[in-house]
Formats: sequence, structure tokens, C-alpha cells
Amino acid sequence: MIRVQPLALLALVAPLALAACDSAPATTAVTPRPTADSGTSQPDAPAPTDSATPPADVPAPPADASQNVPSVPVTSIPGHESLPQDTTHKEGPRLMPAETYIRSYLALFGGLAPLDVQTRARGADGSALFDAWNDYLAALGLPDYRVDQPRGNQTNALMMATFERLSVALCDRAVERDLRGTLPVAQRVIFAFDPTAAAPTAAEFAARFDVLHRTFLGYPAALAETPRAARFFELYNGTVARHRATGAAASRFTPEQAGWATVCYGLARHPEFHAY
Amino acid sequence: MTDTSRRRFLQVLAGASAAGAAMQFPLQAFADPPNGSDEFFLFIHAAGAWDVMLGLDPRNERRGLIEPPNTDVLDITALDRWNDVALDGDTRSFELVRPTGSNITFGPAIGELGNFYDRVTVVNGLAVNTVSHPDGTVFAATGRHLSGGRAPESSIDTLLGNEFGRDKLFPVVSMNFPSWFVGANLDRRAMPLRTGSVDTVGRSLSRSNLNTYDADRDAVTALLSREATELAARQQFPEVFNGMGLQYEGLRRMLASNLRSVFDGTALAAMYPTLVPTAAGARYRFFQTGAVNAAFAVEAMKRNVVRCVSFSMGSFDTHNTNYRNQAMLQQELFAVIARLIRTLDSTPHPTITTDRLSEHTHILVVSEFCRTPQINLSGGRDHYPNGSALVVSPAFRSNFVYGSSDPDQLLPRPSGMFTDGMRAIAPPDLLATMLGAFGVDPRRYMRDGEVVRALLRA
Repeated sequence: MIRVQPLALLALVAPLALAACDSAPATTAVTPRPTADSGTSQPDAPAPTDSATPPADVPAPPADASQNVPSVPVTSIPGHESLPQDTTHKEGPRLMPAETYIRSYLALFGGLAPLDVQTRARGADGSALFDAWNDYLAALGLPDYRVDQPRGNQTNALMMATFERLSVALCDRAVERDLRGTLPVAQRVIFAFDPTAAAPTAAEFAARFDVLHRTFLGYPAALAETPRAARFFELYNGTVARHRATGAAASRFTPEQAGWATVCYGLARHPEFHAY
Repeated sequence: MTDTSRRRFLQVLAGASAAGAAMQFPLQAFADPPNGSDEFFLFIHAAGAWDVMLGLDPRNERRGLIEPPNTDVLDITALDRWNDVALDGDTRSFELVRPTGSNITFGPAIGELGNFYDRVTVVNGLAVNTVSHPDGTVFAATGRHLSGGRAPESSIDTLLGNEFGRDKLFPVVSMNFPSWFVGANLDRRAMPLRTGSVDTVGRSLSRSNLNTYDADRDAVTALLSREATELAARQQFPEVFNGMGLQYEGLRRMLASNLRSVFDGTALAAMYPTLVPTAAGARYRFFQTGAVNAAFAVEAMKRNVVRCVSFSMGSFDTHNTNYRNQAMLQQELFAVIARLIRTLDSTPHPTITTDRLSEHTHILVVSEFCRTPQINLSGGRDHYPNGSALVVSPAFRSNFVYGSSDPDQLLPRPSGMFTDGMRAIAPPDLLATMLGAFGVDPRRYMRDGEVVRALLRA
């Protein structure tokens, strides 16, 4: 049985009582601030009042209330004394593996097998848009173990040329299928929108560009870090103007189709499409 | 220690340090190394590991481990320079080839290249220290062994492209050559354009104008170049997007230059009929593609659009009865090089009008290692940790052999004094010498390797 000496008990309790008295005002000072988003307030927290006057027992917040928000250093959390907290990027963007690029390409072409894509991309119209997959594999960076050729994991100018070659085949065939044909919008893989009857305004272009942007780059164009919609609108208008110009070479595309084709080229060759 | 003696000690110490620094990179001693910006470089990889006893390090006698190439295991019918020497019974080996005036003794597979003995430098007894194809290939091209399946340093073509080729449309064109781009201290324009063959480059560059125009696609490329540059400015690690921006610009220049014929094998064969014979019976049996690659190199150099061209010529890996072709394979390889030299001799330099292209073109031919001195049970030869290399360069001492292999075992013998003592020359030394010949400090790029001054012209 443990016997407690009364004097020792007093010595233990007295500092705790004093500490409780000292800390009382501080407790009232950390009362949660009313926030604009009341939905995020804790259930146990006092409900924010609509009154502009705070309760009498709550001191008025300072001018810059954020200075009073307590912060908890990570090192004070048990088990985190030596845990490094470094959220900086340790590596820059990397080139997507060639297999991933080819898989994306096949999916954008309509989910066909590689040889079917090759057949359709080549077509029978003498447009020479595509040769054979074998002609592009090394330039895309695929390894060739027959000759101990390692994987190419960095871009070069020839790879850029190959990306252009392949994107032209993809987009031109997509224009033929989606914009020149009668395919319903819901069944279109790339140009899943109806082009405007007249020249599109910036807003009309942006709405359609956003569809393409989400298809190729996977997020809304409005979130792009560059003025992308405006820049591509300029590209579209430039292409249309070139094709409309007097004496322009004959093209199988209308000026508007050529404009959308170049927008498609730009997204299928975009740095964000090839890097992750 | 008194003040005077202490000062004297420090002076001696400083002098010794300066001497040590000078020893590390002795290029200062060379008089006016060639200006690399007028030079062109060609690297050829004899893929599969060649048998040096047939060409650059010939053996025609049984000695120690060595079973010399002979008629029992080789097909010699098409060899121009094979002259019989009795070995035993009906088995015959070959007579060593030493053209009049030559300081180099060749094997019979040297073929046409023997006529150019005064233009070539042979390096024998290369300590390759490996018998693995991938490792030896990377070691021969980069001077470093593989590290986890990757090269830890860049290959020689990339380094020279980075030094002298950044202003070129194609700093480095690499066709199945083990080209590596490693490290942050390189300009991304020097990234080797890796491809399977010349024709596939042409296909990547071809464009159809039926639907959209060149100007339309050029506008797209210009936009993307701008996008890449702006994205790079927002990155903590901007190298990749910066590189893409530069490469988009490079692509615009490539497409604007109308270079389709440079990358058209048929057109190249028509332009260089001696180098790429197409008539039946005159065609190469093994290396028609290699010859087209060589013709591409000449045409691209002539148009001044390239700095380095590198390619492989393979099939030397002959472990069994396919060893019968080894001599003919080498003869064709050396024939391509001989005809290449002849073509370069007749081609003017693109910027120095008084000079021929051959006066400014530097060719290095390497293989990953060599083949065993013994014949195996299948009638072939396996992998062996020794190597030879061939250099055709106005910057190197020609009609000259550096290094040697053991007469009994065909292993590398010490060839000279290096900072780590007397030892055999190794691939990093040869590559460092290639850099040093053009005033490039190898230490900027390479961990290993020393410039071998004996290989360079005084």
C-alpha cells in the first residue's frame, strides 16, 4: 500500500493550482475566431454570433487577428521531434515513357490496336500522314534490345519532329472523322463539340478549347499557368486567315477545320502532354 | 625552423603543387590544338565484339593460349588480303599484312583500309575489364562501366557535340550508337538525335501539305516554344521545359532547311555511288546500312548541319559457326571506312574553302572487347577482356600503333606511365585523348582517363 505524506501532497497540488490560475486568461484568448466558412467550424466550438459586439468575457481581437492564431511546431508533437518536413520538389518534370505516349495516342485515335491505327492513319488517300510504327519507335525513345539500344528518356529535336508528325496524323484524321462527318458529339473522342457557324468569339472559342484542353492535358484550360486560351485563339485565327487569304494553296480542310486542326496539333505536342 | 627555411619550404611546396596541376592536364604543352568549331567527328561502334587477331592485332601462330584464325573455322573465299601460311596438316593461317612504308602490321581482314596505313592510328591492348556486351559498349563510348543499367557519364559524341556542336542544326546524330546524355552541365541542344537509321529520320521530318501548311505548323511550334519557356520560368527545376523550348526552335530550323535528301537512303546512295554501291555484286553483303550512314555523315558535314555522327555496324558476336563470317565482316567494315576516307578526300570543307573535309574529320572506331584467343567447341570464339581501337584523325599520330597485348594470352600489356603508375591504356584514356586533342579538358566531363600525349601529333 502506498502511503502519501500530507506535506508532500500539498507541495504537489500547490504549483498545479497556481498554474491553473495563471493560464485562465490565455484559455479565453484562443476562442476560435468566427470564420466566413461556418461549415468548417468544430461542433464543440461556440457558435459564431451575428452581433458585431463580442461577449463581455472575450477580449476584442487585435487588428491583425492572424497574429494571434497559435501555431504548433511539428517538433512539439510526440514522435515528430526529428521528423523532417520538407515539401519542396526534388525533381523536375520528366518525359513520359514512350509506351505511355503510344497508349495515349491509341486511345485518342479511338482505342484501336496499333496496326489498326497505322492503317487508318496512313489511309488510302495518298496524304502520306503516317508511315509505320517501326519508323518512329527509336525516335520516340523506345529501347531496342536487338542492338542493346537503351531507352531514350530525354527529349531531343528529332523526338519533337516525331511528335509533330504523329500529332498531325492524329488531328487531321480526327478532323475528318469529327468535324467533316456526321458523328454525334457524344461519340467523338477529340472534337467533342460543334463548331460555331460564324467565326467564334473569344468566349465561344474558349469553351470549345476547354474541351480539347481537358482531353489532352487533363485539366481545365482556365487553370493553365500560361494565357493559353488567348494564345491558342490567336493561333486559330492566324491559321484561318492564312487559309482564307487570296492565293492560298488549296487545302482539303476548310479554314475553320484547319484552325481547329492546328489547335489540336498544339495540344498533342504540348510540353505538358509529354512530361509529368 | 627558421623564417628563411620555412619560406623556402613553402616555395618548394608551391612549386610542387603547380607541377602537379600541370601534370593533371598537360594540354597546355600542346601547340595550338585544332579549333573544334571547324572539325567534324564520326564514331563507329563495331557491335558484338570483333576478333582483333584478324585485323588490328594479328596473330598467325600457335603460342600460349592462342589458336590463330585459320581455314578450319573461317570462310576466306572473299578475303582480298588472305595469303596462306601453313599451320598444320591442311590447316592454314594467314600471312601478316604490312604494306610498304607501313609501321603497322595488320591481319588479312584489313582489306582496302590497308592502303591508308599512313592515315590510321591503331590502339592495341585496351584494358576493357569486362566481357559483358552492354557494359563493354557503354565503357567504350563513355569511359565508365554501367551503373545499375545506366551510364554514369555522357558518351564521347555527346561531349564533343556539347563543346562544338551547339550552333549546329544537328549537334549529334546517333544511329544505334550507345550515345548517352548524362548530367546537368550539358546543353540540351547537344542531346543526341537517336534513331535506327537515316531513313527513319527522313520519315519523321516529312510533312504533308494537303490539309495544313508549313506556316500553320511552324506557328504551332513557335507557340509551343513560348509555352515551354514560360513553364520553365515557373519551375524549380526548369531544365526539361527549357530543353524542350530549345528543341522546338531546333525543329523549326530543321524543317525550314529542306534537308529531306540528307535523310533519304536512296538519294544518298545515288550521291555517293563509290561509298554506297547499289549494283548487284558490288553491294555490301553485311553493311549496306552502315555505308548509307557513312554517306549521310559526309553529306551532313558537307552541308555543315552536323557536328558528330555516330553509328553501329554489328554482327561481330560470333560464338559458334557464325565465326566463319568474322573475317568478311571485318573486311566490309574496313572497306566502308576506307571508302569513307576516299570520299572525304574528294569533298571540300564547308567553311574552309582551301581544305578538304578529310583534313577536319576525326573518326574513332571501337568495339566493346575482343574475342577469345581459343576456339570453343562450337567453332567460334567467346568474349575476352582485351580490345583494340582504330583512329583516323589529322590530330593523331598516324601510321602508328600504341599499346600491345600479351603474346601468349592476348591480354593488355602496360603501355605507358599514367598518374597511377605503369599500366595498359583503357577506353577512358582514349576518350580523354580524343577530347584533349581539341583543347577540351577531360576533367570537365570525365572522372577517369588521361590524355595520352604519345597518341597525338606533336
